[in-house]
Amino acid sequence: MTGSRAADPPALEIRDLEVTFSGSRGGVPAVRGVDLVIRPGETLALLGESGSGKSVTARAIMGLLEGPGVDVRMSRAQVGGRDLLTQDPEQRRLLRGSVMTMVFQDALSALNPVLTIGDQIGELFRTHRGATRAQARKHAIDLLKLVGIPAAESRVRDYPHQFSGGMRQRILIAMAVALEPDLLIADEPTTALDVTVQAQILRLIDRLRRELGTAVLLITHDLGVAAEVADRVAVMYAGRIVETSAVEEIYDRPAHPYTEALLAAIPDLERPSEQLLAIPGAPPRPGTVGAGCAFEPRCSRSSSLCDRERPLLTVLPGSPHRAAACHHTQEVLDAGTG
Amino acid sequence: MPAPAEPVLRAADLHKTYGGGLLRRGGVHAVAGVSLELHAGETLGIVGESGCGKSTLARMLVGLEHPDSGQVTFHGKPFARGRRIPREVRRRVQMVFQDPLTSLNPRMTILDIVAEPLDVHRLAKDRTARRARVGELLELVGLAPELMNRFPYEFSGGQRQRIGIARALATDPEVIVCDEPVSALDMSVQAQVVNLLSDLQKRLGVALVFIAHDLAVVRHVSHRVGVMYLGRMAELGDAADVYGAPAHPYTAALMSAAPVPRPQARHRERIVLAGDPPSPVDPPSGCRFRTRCPQAADVCASDTPPLQGPGTHLAACHFAAFGA
Repeated sequence: MTGSRAADPPALEIRDLEVTFSGSRGGVPAVRGVDLVIRPGETLALLGESGSGKSVTARAIMGLLEGPGVDVRMSRAQVGGRDLLTQDPEQRRLLRGSVMTMVFQDALSALNPVLTIGDQIGELFRTHRGATRAQARKHAIDLLKLVGIPAAESRVRDYPHQFSGGMRQRILIAMAVALEPDLLIADEPTTALDVTVQAQILRLIDRLRRELGTAVLLITHDLGVAAEVADRVAVMYAGRIVETSAVEEIYDRPAHPYTEALLAAIPDLERPSEQLLAIPGAPPRPGTVGAGCAFEPRCSRSSSLCDRERPLLTVLPGSPHRAAACHHTQEVLDAGTG
Repeated sequence: MPAPAEPVLRAADLHKTYGGGLLRRGGVHAVAGVSLELHAGETLGIVGESGCGKSTLARMLVGLEHPDSGQVTFHGKPFARGRRIPREVRRRVQMVFQDPLTSLNPRMTILDIVAEPLDVHRLAKDRTARRARVGELLELVGLAPELMNRFPYEFSGGQRQRIGIARALATDPEVIVCDEPVSALDMSVQAQVVNLLSDLQKRLGVALVFIAHDLAVVRHVSHRVGVMYLGRMAELGDAADVYGAPAHPYTAALMSAAPVPRPQARHRERIVLAGDPPSPVDPPSGCRFRTRCPQAADVCASDTPPLQGPGTHLAACHFAAFGA
């Protein structure tokens, strides 16, 4: 199945994404040159801390950042073979909700409190597919069943506040997959949920990805969540991707000192240790990064070169699917083998 | 380790219900019968999901909330009920809050924030001593004393949490209750604060109650762990026992649901619970976990299982699996 898909166009291809917010003291670069490629049916986790630019990246792809005060540039933007850059705003609007969809962190504020969930799901079919009210209602019930809402026939008439947090997140996911999109962007979909409910939602997203062949861009700050569901991981720091790799490799043998340090800084439930290796300092605020590597002030491997010259995201020798932006990648990799 | 005779802090059958009353039907049963003991120099971790009552428990342990019934004792002396907590207890039992920004007054300097408990308890004899003590406390938590004239907004999240810890340490407490002290912090900063708390405990011998929803962090810092579900303690015991051989089905499910930062662990056997935790307004009869429990039987609906076990490892389940 994956063999035939390799020839298809990627579900998402973004090149040189730059997002700058204009502030009172000049532009604040939030995203500075991000490339992303996701194949159909693949899950890419975009991992980063607050302020790393991961959510801004997601919003820029969805086209939710248009307006004054924001400058979004890309040299290439394709979703499911459609070129976003050549389309007018109305055409792009129609792609949202059908070709690319988004699941937000806070399901309660993402749903309209004064419409029943049946109306909200049905609206997708009426707007994008010209369905009648009755047809739309039937589709809505089918979708609620698909995402595991019990008694879907009666609950379709309920309002968002009548559902629990986990159920509301299921409803958002139902709306996101309703029109079988090429790309589903999930922005911290489980961060507001409890651990036992989080496991259900991650499992649901993974099942739908397999059944519908949707590509998933998962935005998360949680190394555990990324390890559970991602095929590939891209690590962001200060507006740039600093490492990208298949999920097994990045956890077993990280190539960037930031990834290496993060993995050493989080406690492992099954392997408790005496002391966590804390990373000194705090992530930089956007717009305060100098000419060199943004992680340099916190890095244990930094040298004078790191301060002067920013390392480019470079494909690792011998591993065509891995890339890291560090002058000392080989040292990090050697430490991982030792 | 032989248990010392008298625990520093003891909670006996605490109950707390919010709202409700004559006109409104039912209140939120936030905490419904929790007992625990905290010994000198130990860390007791409390885990549980949102709404399980862990924050309400924390607030009762420091005297910010009064239990509806049951009592908290400090060195065997009960917290006064209905009246103000004695000054000595308030001095020796301190709290660190989750959100380091909202728990620090934005219009006060760090000096005044950290010195406030010194002023309240009259622990500094003059301005020089006050400044010196604040400098000492800031150094203790890894901040430069020169920063004491700055305001909270000038600090990062991790530094603000250090300030909150310095304030809690100002009165030489015997107990610090930490309510989700690292969950608002970036993951690269969490380890700094976790290490700081364990380090301070070793150096100062203070007893910690560490409340969090992150199972791995709690395991890392705690000697003993309590698992709460819907206002009750489901399991309580040494961290190695509770994590290594969970006796309560809820603990087992919680452990197996926690995401593991190793892709190889992805295909492990997992217990995925159905549904969400029930509302604490109308909790299930008998065992509160029975509506989601894979092992529930008729007895679970009729009889509330007591928290009991063969030694120090206790579980509130009719089918508790000890020593598995």
